[in-house]
Order: sequence, then structure tokens, then C-alpha cells
Amino acid sequence: MKIDTAFVEKILTNFIRDELHRFGFEKGLLGLSGGLDSSVCAFLASRALKPENVLGLIMPYGESFSGDVEDAGGIARILGIRTKSIDISPMIDAYYKSHPTKNRIMIGNKMARERMSILYDHSVREHALILGTSNKTELLLGYGTIHGDMACAINPLGDLYKTQIRMLAGHLGVPEKIIMKPPTAGLWSGQTDEEELGMTYEDIDRLLFQLIDNRKSHDQAIAMGFSGEMVKKIGTLIRNSEFKRKLPPVAKLSHRTVGHDFLYPYDRD
Amino acid sequence: MTVIYATFSRMKIAIAQIDPYLGNIEKNLKRHLDLVEEAISKKADLIVFPELSLTGYTLRDGVPDMALKPGGDTAFNKLIASSKGISIAFGFAEEKDPGLFFNSSAFLSGGKTLHIHRKVYLPNYGIFEELKFFGQGRNFHTFSSPFGKTGMLICYDFLHYGASYLLFAGGSEFIIVLSAAPGRGVSSGEGWASSYMWELMGETISRFSQSFVIYANRVGSEDGKSFAGGSFIYSPAGQLLAKASYSEEEFLVREVDIQEIREMRRKWPYKRDEKPEIICEALKRIVAGNED
Repeated sequence: MKIDTAFVEKILTNFIRDELHRFGFEKGLLGLSGGLDSSVCAFLASRALKPENVLGLIMPYGESFSGDVEDAGGIARILGIRTKSIDISPMIDAYYKSHPTKNRIMIGNKMARERMSILYDHSVREHALILGTSNKTELLLGYGTIHGDMACAINPLGDLYKTQIRMLAGHLGVPEKIIMKPPTAGLWSGQTDEEELGMTYEDIDRLLFQLIDNRKSHDQAIAMGFSGEMVKKIGTLIRNSEFKRKLPPVAKLSHRTVGHDFLYPYDRD
Repeated sequence: MTVIYATFSRMKIAIAQIDPYLGNIEKNLKRHLDLVEEAISKKADLIVFPELSLTGYTLRDGVPDMALKPGGDTAFNKLIASSKGISIAFGFAEEKDPGLFFNSSAFLSGGKTLHIHRKVYLPNYGIFEELKFFGQGRNFHTFSSPFGKTGMLICYDFLHYGASYLLFAGGSEFIIVLSAAPGRGVSSGEGWASSYMWELMGETISRFSQSFVIYANRVGSEDGKSFAGGSFIYSPAGQLLAKASYSEEEFLVREVDIQEIREMRRKWPYKRDEKPEIICEALKRIVAGNED
């Protein structure tokens, strides 16, 4: 699980710079939540590009999460990157006024997709590519909103577990306060990931590392000391979220079909 | 070979650890020609580029659009022309016969194509899918280059030690490996965890085949894969003579002493005592499923 953080920084900053330049972009943008992942991504982006070429969008829902908004602004000030604040409550409220619900997850997902839509709008306005902030733990568990916070042009963080992001954050000089903050998807006020999942990221990541990186079976993981209940729960989360990690299947009819046998790289020069 | 030893004993090897443009032969060709010029100005005798250096690696369905016919394409001919005062090893997608594509490398020298190697071991697991897009090469040859018997391997070929053995049995003194090996594993220590296996193989093969091993890998990223660099030269004594960065482009130039091949083979007569005919007969029995 340990990573050589200086080397990882080098690889990821090269990745961000190469990808943007390859597609003719100088600028990157990302949603700044005041949490760990988007802060780490902002640190990497400001080193890969120039700070003035990074735009952090701060998109609170009204006055809630005011502490996080402050933290996001603090990160931007440390790095010298540009920010823009856009309150998403008018858009969200307008919709739920006519389609009310009490389902907090639905509302949280809608907010994530509103932020996505603002990011893509600004991608064109700013001629900047969207940097994703989903980490490996979230991608594997499907702990993110499809077409919401998972949407991006490139994702520098997707092969780092949450605990590895913490290690990288320490190396990059992300303020201790951000590193120690309880991770939250920000779906509602006071929500924390670990409480909702019923496990700590440290335990989850240790298990995922065995199951995914070391290709251990569930039985082998249990023999290593992980509880059967935890292994089952994590296994189910991984299996049930495959749709979030793939483009949807296209019904094949012709000799050559998008998504099946029309195969080109994402990148090009 | 003794004639060559009599004429000179030192040579300069250049490795162009570059990040090729994906799917842009024109830009890559210019880069190649510029680096060949630079190598000549530094008095290098040989310049080695990575696997698929003329096209980039992740071509997928783009292979037929990028494939060249050796000697029958402008880009190829320009490289041949640039080899008048130097030897060049580079990688390209080849259309050997109409509609038949290979992941190939060419060795050019003195304005001529001395050898084409077609990658035999096409990786097709995990992140790799080369068998979908390329035909498999069928042989490992050595050929006479201006500095000695030489053989080429492409990337995954080199991780199958039988390939290096065949070059050794064929009299190799120089084993050139053109690579596009992605880095895997950032767990601990310097650089990529996967780089160690290439270096281990480089050290082992150079030491026991008593050949120079020249490994040119690329850097940069394609579709999220970062290539692991770490190009190197090992001497026939198994000594690391030069190694490039694991993440950045680098133009490595190193002078080597060709006499080392002779010295090592006098000291440790592996080559003299090698028995390819026994290996060959034993392999035939194994392949026939009749080991007795």
C-alpha cells in the first residue's frame, strides 16, 4: 500500500500536462469541495500547469457546508489558482419545487449532476479540461454519482486508494486540517463516508488491496483476518457498481460497432 | 568478427528515450531525423529508438493506417537515407504483405536496411491486446552489423529468455531491445516496481550471453498508461553502463569497449561450451510430447 510519493507526484503531473497539451489545452478546471481528493488534485494541477491555468469551481448549496467552502477557498489561496463560486440552490430548488422528494440520496445525486453540468459548461467557456477527483476506493465501490462527480475528461487520482491519497497529500503539503477531515460525499449535512459504509477507509483499502491488486479470493481474504461480513459487503459493492465504470453496452447489429469492434485510443496527437 | 576487433575497439551507443506522438508519423519522423543528426554530431555509431517509435504504441484499429512497407514508403526511405553515417534501430508498424501487419523493428546502416525483426511474443493479457491488431513474427535472427553480430528483440520478446538464447546461439554480441513497457506498481523504492524485471533480465542476459544488451524504452503516457523509461546498457560482463530516467525523456550516449566481449568469452567460455544441438534435440522431444 505504501507509495513513493515523490515519484507518484512526478508521474501524475506529467500525466495531467501531457493529456491537456495533447488535446490543445493549457488550462484545467475542477470542482473544489474543500475535501481531501479535490485538494490533492488542485495541488497536482497547479504544479503540472501554472497556477493561473487552474480554475477551481466552488459550488455550494446555499449556506450549507460553509466550513467546506472556506476550506476550498483556503486551498485556492495557498496555490494561487483562480476560483469561481456558484450557488447551486436556485437550480436544485426549482426542480424539487415541482418534483418534491424526501430521498436524501436522490437529492445529493441531483446536486452532484448539477455541479457536473456547471463544470462542463465552464470547460467550454474557459477552454479547460475537467480533472476528475474520484479515487480508486470510490471507483471500486461505486461510491460516487454516475454522470455526477465521476464525470471528467481525465482522472489523475483513480489508481490511488483513499489512504494513498492521504500519503500523497502529506508529501504535497496539503494542510493537516484537510488531511484529517472525515471524508464525506457531501450528499447531506453531517454525512460521513465511513459512517455510511460502516467501515473505515483504512480497513476497506487494506481489503481492496488484497482483492484487487493482489488478486486474492474472498476465502483467502477471510483467512487473512478480514471478517466474512465485510468481505461480502465489499464484494457486493464492487460487483453491483460495474455499470458506473463502463460505457453502456451498445446492441450490436452491424459488422463494426461503437464500443465493440471500433477500437481507437482515447489519446491522439 | 576478428576483422572488426582489429579495426576498432570502442564504439558509441545512443539511446533515444522519447515520448512518441501517438498516430503521427510525420512528427515522429522529424523527431527521429533530428535525433539521428544529434547522435551523428555526438559521434555515435548506433542510435536505438523504442518500440513503435515512429507511430506511438496504442494504435489499435489505427494500425493499418500507420503501417509502412520497408523501402516502399517515404518515411522509411528518409530514415534509410539518414543512416549513411550511423546505424539506426527503430520501431514501426509494418505491412509485410497486403493486409498483414506486424509490430516490427528495422536496423538501418550505411544507407541500407540490414534487418527487420517482427515481434514474436505479442502480449495479450491485462492492459495488453497486441494479438488483436498484429500478426506474430516467427523467428529470431542475428545479422552482421558494422560492430558485430547483432540481434533485435521487441519488448515482451525480451521477457522470454528463450528469445535471447536463440540470439546467443546465433552468435549475438549485441542484443538490442526496443520497448514500450508501461510502468506498473509504485509501491516502494525508486521508480516503477515493474522496472526491476527488465533490469534483472538485462543483467542476466548480458552476463550469460556475454553480449551488450541495449534496452531502449519509452516514456510519456497513452490512454492513462505511463511508460516506464529506465532504458539501459549492460556490458558483456553484466555491468550496468548507463541507465535513463523512469519518467522523463532522455538522450543517453555512452561509449563502450567492444573488446569486453572477447575478454569475457576467454575468461568464461560459455559460448565455446554451448550445445545448441542438444538443446534443439531436447526441445524437439519436448514439443513432440515424448520427453524420453
